[in-house]
This record gives sequence, structure tokens and C-alpha cells, in this order.
Amino acid sequence: MMTAQDLIAFEDEVAARFNAGKIRAPVHLYSGNEAQMIEVFKGIGKNDWVFCSWRSHYQCLLKGVPPAAVMDEIMAGRSISLCFPEQRIYSSAIVGGVLPIAVGTALAIARSGEDARVHCFMGEMTAETGIAHESIKYSRNHRLPIRFVVEDNEKSVCTDTRAAWNQSKLSFENQRDEYIHYYRYQTRYPHAGAGQRVQF
Amino acid sequence: MKYFDELKRSMEFLAADPRVVFMGQAVAVPGTAMSNTLKDVAPGRLIELPVAEELQMGMTTGLALAGQVPVSIFPRWNFLMCGLSQLVNHLDKLAVMSNGGYKAKAIVRTGIGSERPLHPQHQHVGDYTEALRLMCKSIEVIRLDEPEDIFPAYERALLRDDGRSTLIVEYGDYYSEK
Repeated sequence: MMTAQDLIAFEDEVAARFNAGKIRAPVHLYSGNEAQMIEVFKGIGKNDWVFCSWRSHYQCLLKGVPPAAVMDEIMAGRSISLCFPEQRIYSSAIVGGVLPIAVGTALAIARSGEDARVHCFMGEMTAETGIAHESIKYSRNHRLPIRFVVEDNEKSVCTDTRAAWNQSKLSFENQRDEYIHYYRYQTRYPHAGAGQRVQF
Repeated sequence: MKYFDELKRSMEFLAADPRVVFMGQAVAVPGTAMSNTLKDVAPGRLIELPVAEELQMGMTTGLALAGQVPVSIFPRWNFLMCGLSQLVNHLDKLAVMSNGGYKAKAIVRTGIGSERPLHPQHQHVGDYTEALRLMCKSIEVIRLDEPEDIFPAYERALLRDDGRSTLIVEYGDYYSEK
């Protein structure tokens, strides 16, 4: 299992490569949520599925993808849609895109009786979308083997989620139950890139 | 050979494969002309969904990822358009995003809204087949012009081993005209 320091070091390496102009594709970096992410992965098994957004380096590493393999994909320009079938990881660059897909996979597991679960990650703005509410409601009401992880870094690109919705407490804020795992964190990286303007 | 009969025969052919599951609104209960083509399919293979097209289309991909062969039914093009992001951005791009690692075989069934004897006006009619062909890179889009086209299209969709999904378009008017 990767440690917090391992995760930070990996992301710092990606940042350095991006800032040096070596990655000719957008990257979306994690920072500040290592402990929360490690906690989440204590509940994720080898046979479980993990569905992510455009920000998924930590999930891939913690699920067991070798760091070199993750870096290869990032260097190949696929940071925002990392997919590792062997580890059952699917990531998507579309807001809310993975949510109903995750529901379908959970339904397939329920129908087949396989001993596995689905874990679906999203940011706090995505959690406010209609497709998020549909996906969570359907899953909860049909008792599907899935958990939705809401990662609240308070921003959607540069938009303050709470201000944009004019809602001081978000729909799933502070919820922890069988279906929702909410956590909040602050990041030192911007939405995309690594904080330095890069001339390609 | 009748258009409706061939559709019904095709659904029963699909249902013989244990991987196949049918999903959508009005698949397990009456509601559309398409419902009648499923009335002899075992209830356990029919998943009646709420009206939630994006959810349905995403679930289709998720089921396919996990090895099922979902037949995802949208009664007309106008409704399927509410799920186009899932169709074009996910189901169609799955293989290339995963370097060929993921293969999702799904069958999406939709129709060109019937215009006769009642014309439902602008938002329940229209054929968007060519537009979808332009949008999709891997999904094969087939329009069923004649009764004899129907069964081969569904047979091919089910048995293909190239990792592609199939979108099959039927004419609502042909249920009573061909």
C-alpha cells in the first residue's frame, strides 16, 4: 500500500514534468487529501471496481497499478481518462460521466452474485448534478453494492460551488453512511496543471 | 415476413443468451409499441427503469463492462438524445480510452417516431441516424429498412466479437405498414 509520502512524491513528480513541458496533455493533480484517500481504500478490495473522474492518480496507485504504469499513461497524454482493466479502474473526463456507468456495473454484480463492490469518486460540484442524484437514489433504493465518495475541495475549476448554488451546506455534506462517503480537503494545485504557466 | 414479427423473433433470439438483459421504460410493462415485442421474454430478464435516459445509457455501459449484453431500449430518437453524452462520450470511446483493454458489447434499440395515423408533431418524430453515424467512431449504427434486415442485424450485434456495440434503429410506422 502506498503511503501518504509516496502519493505526494508521485504527484510532485508529475507536476515537475508538466512544468518542464514534458507532458503535452492536461493533468489534474491531488494534494492535501492523502490521509482521507488511504482511509477510503482500506474498504476497497482487489475485485472491487473503482470509477473516477479526470483526477485519478491516487486511486490508480492505491488500487495497485504500478507507479511506472500510471506514469507511462500520464506521459502518453491520458491523465484525464486513466483506465486499467486489470485493476478494474475506469476514469472519465466528463462531469458525472462515470456515475451511471458505476451504477450499471453494480447492478451487474448484484445480478450475478459476485463478491465485489463498486466505488465511485466525484467532486462536490458533480455531486450536485442531476445525474448524481439519480445514480445515488437508484443505487440506494435498489440496495446495489456501491459506494459514492464525494471529495469536496470547494471549487469547480475556479467556481465556488456553494456560492454558485447559493447553498451554504451542500446536498451530501458531512454524510457518511453505506452509500455516501463525504470528505473535505484543500489542495495546493489548481484545477488543471501544476501552478506554473507552461509555454509549449 | 412482417416487420413486427421479425422484431419480436429477434428479441426472443436475444433472450436465449443468458448474458442478455433488456432495460428501459416500458420493457416489463406495456407502454410503447416496442413493449409488445418483449411480451414473451421471461420477466427476470426485463429491467423496468424510471424515466432517466442518461442514467439508463450509463447503466448500459456499466453492465457491458461487467460482461452482460444489455439491450437498452429507447422508444424513439428524441428520448435517446437525452442520453447522447453517455452514448458518444463513453460507450463509443471505451475501447480507445483503455488501449483496447475494455470491450463493451451493448445493443441500443431506438426508433423513428411513428407519424401515422397520428402525427405527434415536432418532438416525437425525426430520424437522427446519419447524425449519430457521424458522431460515433466505434458504435455500428444500423437502420432497419426492411423486415428481412431485422434478424441478421440483431444476430450480428449479439454474436460479434470485435468489442463493438450496435445501435439499431427501427421505423415506428413499419409496425403496421410492412
